[in-house]
Amino acid sequence: MAKMTVGRVNKILPQSFVDGPGNRSVIFLQGCQFNCLYCHNPYTINICNACGICVESCPAGALSLDGGRILWDQVACVDCDTCIDVCPNNSSPKTRAMTPAVIWEAIQNYLPFISGLTVTGGEPTCQPDFLFDLFRLVKGQSDLTTCIETNGGVQGEVIKTLLPDLDYVMVDLKAFDPEIHRALTGRGNAKTLETIRQVTEAGKLHMVRTTIVPGYTDQESQIADIARFLTGLNPEIHLRLLRFRPHGTRGIAAAWESPSDAVMDRLVEAAKASGLGHVDRSL
Amino acid sequence: MTQTKIAYPFEHLENGMRAGDLADFKDQVRSVVADPMLLEEQKRVAMMDAAYKTLPYPATSDAALEALGQGVICLLGEGPAPYHPRYVAPDFQKVLDEGSDFFNLKPATNLYEAITSLLTLYNYSPTSGDPPYIGNLDLLLEPFIRDLPAEAARPVLKSFWTLIDRLHPDAFVHADIGPDATRTGEMLLDIDHEAGTITNLTLRYDPAKTPREFALKAVRNTLQLSKPYFLNHPRHLADWGPDYIVASCYNIMWLRGGIFTLVRLNLAEVTRHYNGDLEALLDHEIPRLAALQVEVINSRIRHIVEEVGWFDHAIFVKEGLLDPEKFSAYAGVVGLNELVNEMMVRAGKPDAKYGHDAQANAVAVQIVSRLKQELARHPSPYCRGTGERVIFHAQVGISEDQDATPGCRLPAGTEPEIYTHLQATAPIQALVEGGVSDIFEFDQTARQNPEAVLDIINGAMKLGMRDISIGSTDSEFVRVSGYLVRRADLENRQEEQLLRYGTASIAREFFSAQPNTLHRRTRQV
Repeated sequence: MAKMTVGRVNKILPQSFVDGPGNRSVIFLQGCQFNCLYCHNPYTINICNACGICVESCPAGALSLDGGRILWDQVACVDCDTCIDVCPNNSSPKTRAMTPAVIWEAIQNYLPFISGLTVTGGEPTCQPDFLFDLFRLVKGQSDLTTCIETNGGVQGEVIKTLLPDLDYVMVDLKAFDPEIHRALTGRGNAKTLETIRQVTEAGKLHMVRTTIVPGYTDQESQIADIARFLTGLNPEIHLRLLRFRPHGTRGIAAAWESPSDAVMDRLVEAAKASGLGHVDRSL
Repeated sequence: MTQTKIAYPFEHLENGMRAGDLADFKDQVRSVVADPMLLEEQKRVAMMDAAYKTLPYPATSDAALEALGQGVICLLGEGPAPYHPRYVAPDFQKVLDEGSDFFNLKPATNLYEAITSLLTLYNYSPTSGDPPYIGNLDLLLEPFIRDLPAEAARPVLKSFWTLIDRLHPDAFVHADIGPDATRTGEMLLDIDHEAGTITNLTLRYDPAKTPREFALKAVRNTLQLSKPYFLNHPRHLADWGPDYIVASCYNIMWLRGGIFTLVRLNLAEVTRHYNGDLEALLDHEIPRLAALQVEVINSRIRHIVEEVGWFDHAIFVKEGLLDPEKFSAYAGVVGLNELVNEMMVRAGKPDAKYGHDAQANAVAVQIVSRLKQELARHPSPYCRGTGERVIFHAQVGISEDQDATPGCRLPAGTEPEIYTHLQATAPIQALVEGGVSDIFEFDQTARQNPEAVLDIINGAMKLGMRDISIGSTDSEFVRVSGYLVRRADLENRQEEQLLRYGTASIAREFFSAQPNTLHRRTRQV
């Protein structure tokens, strides 16, 4: 047997209606190369550096420091998330190293109810070898479809390697203007745009999503730019506009307001006016 | 089916109304006559109901009378001694093909004639009012619609569907569609989506046969309207063969047949009158109650067939739309949840709840299996459609039920997550061949991903679920127990406005008696 890759897993969600086509089990991986101002689960951004601050704060005594790693006692843990709240590193001690086989075992009970498996994060493509092995296993064992939710900021070679066992790719395009993208995420968007192009050509783009963030991406012109770019690739591409919500965010974003229905509807119309057929928004 | 309160002060099980009760009777009639909340037709029904309930119950043993008096065995608004079957499933196809002398109908040659015949037959339903079964409408109408352009067929079908609601404003009026997709079925789903009528609807769903696009259309509808039901067609085909139909709420019976009566065993009430442990319950009390339940059922069947002579003079039988060989009766069950939980308390495990605990779930299966087995031991006369045995049915409750969870369901509000829920109730549903359902309510996000809802329906069918009702938190209708009520009508009733729908007032009573039923767990997705 080939070497066992191991994924750094933050969470497994048995059922989701919003992470790809149909009902899907979702694997959240730990770690992301972006650092978005409005990240909705900022505790998935970094890999734990074992600073130990959370160990003292844990009210259940479920954490301990052992030779440069944090040990997490899942039985003692009361899931209060104090560790996540005190973490200065946007990380979590409550992650598990799991092999594809262990993940496959964990979702067995849900197989009758799901269309497929989606890997999100964090950023799934930060752990490409694990993704490759996981999807190979899933495809070898079942008819489930496979999907990733990615920020697209990844080398084309990585995507290319994954594509044979990957059915759907959902790309988050944070902004079309590179400078706004950099302000929001800390990085430019050239790779993301290239990923969208690459996945569209492979016929595997399920959806592009853009979060409408007040002051950054809530201008009609910016959404129209995205729509024109996508229309140029394929006018059938599905663009979904997501409403920014402060829930779960840290830092300055926690004080931002959600865009109104009127703003969301206007932006949907702006995207459609640019020739894109399939545009909708979150509720 | 207009359902009314079970007990008037002048109603007496053994002897009927007595001379001294006359003042109460007059009071009842007077209050109906002057009730500002009833239409004239509703007043007529209410007065008829009062008159009819002056009669005595058919003779039964003292033990049965006691169980009836305690509410352990209970009737569902049928009155003391029914003079017609509770449900019938006429063979509408026969009239479309051959016409009917009595109803002065010719064989239908086009869509207009077909709907004229159907509406005529609905008007003469030999039940307590509105027809509980109005046909497999897609199969009945497809030959007339198949070759018509949509712009010709659609307005007629829409008018027909609207008339059913306007002439029979009752949520127990039920149509079936599927499992195949037809132009009529597709059109009907689109019309229902647009018109949102109260008429109940079931999709006989076969994951292997029903086209995915058709199933997704039904999902779209149910997220907006809480209908159609998704019925496990392969499962019912295996149990019943091709001639089963769904009537009223989710009641399974033979086409051309009917159900004489529905008598319920209230298992929640059993906990208040029986003190034994699980072993004694299974060995003694359940067998005793099953025998009494069948006794009460049989007394009512005999009354309909032998005293009233219904088969001898019913015009639907004479015209060949109903066949006495296809009739049966329901032994209903309600309040399984309460009995299971009480048995766990008695076993010293008060925290082991039905739906949440494997041992409690196993006890539920034991109770239901035992009851089913006992019911099958006793013959029932004239239940020739089912080998002279009653049919087991999970009844979903009425407003008089205090602290009895509908049928074999889990109580609303404290349901476990959906997979655990399905795994707990699927083995129970498998045992109930005469109609059973569970309700799942999704949040509105589900509307953006109907495929996901279909995944869950398919998974439920794989587990052996027979019938599920799906709604969303903002749907136009609420599934009360087995029937629907328009949210707006619940509000109207609270504002004391006149209602066209009789079932809306029962729904109001139901929810005011059991307010938690409105607060089903929303499936966050």
